[in-house]
Amino acid sequence: MKQIAFLAVLAAVALALPLVIGENPYIIGILISMLMMAALSSAWNILGGYAGQYSFGHAAYFGAGAYTTLILLTLYNLNPLFCIAVGIVVASIIALVTGSIVFRLRGHYFGLASIAVAEVVRLSVLNFNFTGGAQGILLSDVALWDLDLNSKTPFYYGMLLVLVVTLSITAYLRRSKTGYYLQAIREDQDAAASLGINIYFYKNKALLLSAALTSVLGSLYGLYIRFIDTSAVLDLRLSIEIILTAIIGGVGTLWGPVIGALLLVPLAEILRSNLIGDVLIKAGLVSETSGVGLFLKGSLANAHVLLYGIITVLCILYLPKGILGLFRRKK
Amino acid sequence: MIQHLLHISHVSKHFGGNVAVSDVSFSVEEEQIFGLIGPNGAGKTTLFNCITGFFPATSGDVIFDTKKINALRPDEICKLGMARTWQRVKPLGSLTVLENVMVGAFSVTTVAKEAEANAKEQLQVVGLNDYATKSAGSLPIGLKKKLELARVLATRPKMLLLDEICGGLNHTETDTILDIIRGIRKKGATIIFIEHDMKAVTSICDRIVVLNSGEKLAEGTPGEITTNPDVIAAYLGGGHHA
Ligand SMILES: Nc1ncnc2c1ncn2[C@@H]1O[C@H](COP(=O)(O)OP(=O)(O)O)[C@@H](O)[C@H]1O
Ligand SMILES: [Mg+2]
Repeated sequence: MKQIAFLAVLAAVALALPLVIGENPYIIGILISMLMMAALSSAWNILGGYAGQYSFGHAAYFGAGAYTTLILLTLYNLNPLFCIAVGIVVASIIALVTGSIVFRLRGHYFGLASIAVAEVVRLSVLNFNFTGGAQGILLSDVALWDLDLNSKTPFYYGMLLVLVVTLSITAYLRRSKTGYYLQAIREDQDAAASLGINIYFYKNKALLLSAALTSVLGSLYGLYIRFIDTSAVLDLRLSIEIILTAIIGGVGTLWGPVIGALLLVPLAEILRSNLIGDVLIKAGLVSETSGVGLFLKGSLANAHVLLYGIITVLCILYLPKGILGLFRRKK
Repeated sequence: MIQHLLHISHVSKHFGGNVAVSDVSFSVEEEQIFGLIGPNGAGKTTLFNCITGFFPATSGDVIFDTKKINALRPDEICKLGMARTWQRVKPLGSLTVLENVMVGAFSVTTVAKEAEANAKEQLQVVGLNDYATKSAGSLPIGLKKKLELARVLATRPKMLLLDEICGGLNHTETDTILDIIRGIRKKGATIIFIEHDMKAVTSICDRIVVLNSGEKLAEGTPGEITTNPDVIAAYLGGGHHA
């Protein structure tokens, strides 16, 4: 009962936020990034957290969605929802090819293979013509129903919807046969197989689900940003950010990835936007031309991935179950 | 007519040049408790791995319930009604005891409520009901062995392959497990029982096969085995180190 009340309040706040903030595009932009990272990390968590198969290449599925959608829109101007659906198909094909090869092998090959596949996808996109190559793709205009797609608000609700769907699937899975099977595979593959679990089938199922959700987020992102290139949607850095968000929040938990995103996205934004430097300089504590000032305005702005890494190492050392682990009672 | 539930026919398993199991044949009848004994390294666990699909046998056939199962995967074999436990226990450490058994139960149902009811029934059978909400990784070894047993029982097997399920347990714990196994057989299951403790084996088994260096050394009733001179020389007499 308490849980339902909590969820209701959370949902009400999430739905009302854009109305409260009004049209402040900067804040809405950060909120969209938070929702997107929370959903990406939650989708990754189905495969990485529950089935224990760490994918280091989820950017491939994100990029598959973004590129498919923008290519179809710029070339044929199809309905965006149809483009998103085709994106799911493309991402699923990449996932199935990867899974059907790698999951037949024993051991931890999946992590390595996922990087390799993502790099193959990235280099292919970079070298083909129809993908815009190094130039990327620019989407000049897009329309769906009566939505004002020049405003950020529809994308806020779009990302929120995908996050809710992803969390609902995860919550359902946890209490279902598939969820138990994925966790059994994570804990001990031989024990799982001896108890009647087709390991190959269930790993592929988790990968497919995770990849499909990730591709929808990629599509939404492409429609939102309207300009994509490989460094924006297919980069290894994105794959790593997705994993770190889950690790820091709590791998294999329902809310861990959300908490990770709520903390890390604003943190990255503070670094990226030079907020620390600006405040210190404005307060007269640091001179803009001094070494410290230059460092704050220059290097630190690009340091958010490094900072994620440092936080992750600290988490692994001191909070192996993520931030959420702090609040879990021991059994 | 005697029903052979499991028929092992000339099974061999080589690891490179190492012959772990060499041309072993025997048959297990329905509702038998069948003992598989032999010194450490005799090939008992390897034979279990061949039967349950974890390593394909190098040669020979495994026939279960009139069906040839050599080429099947472990999960397919489990679905046919043959379940095995592990000598080195494999608890699903971060899941609870109940959840561990539910994983087994899901091989016969897709409904979580039914799986839970089945799992609770098996926890009752092995006497782990008080530990249902404990994490499986935190149990002491004796209880982990019981968990292994509850988990395979939840798959509702026709045949159970128990690999040193009493290994590392004291006398009282061993007796409890032996009683549980007798109870399981009474309900109609067939059991192959790998064990070191001769007293346990002779007290519970209807028939015994002795392996030595991968080869079948002898087969017979407990009485025949304990008086067989080859067995005494190779195994029983050998300082009892096994
Ligand atoms: N996976 C494996 N790879 C190589 N050799 C193995 C493997 N498993 C078992 N063996 C070898 O097979 C022989 C029989 O071992 P095992 O079946 O474990 O004996 P037991 O269970 O009777 O103690 C041993 O010599 C062992 O080293
Ligand atoms: Mg053994």
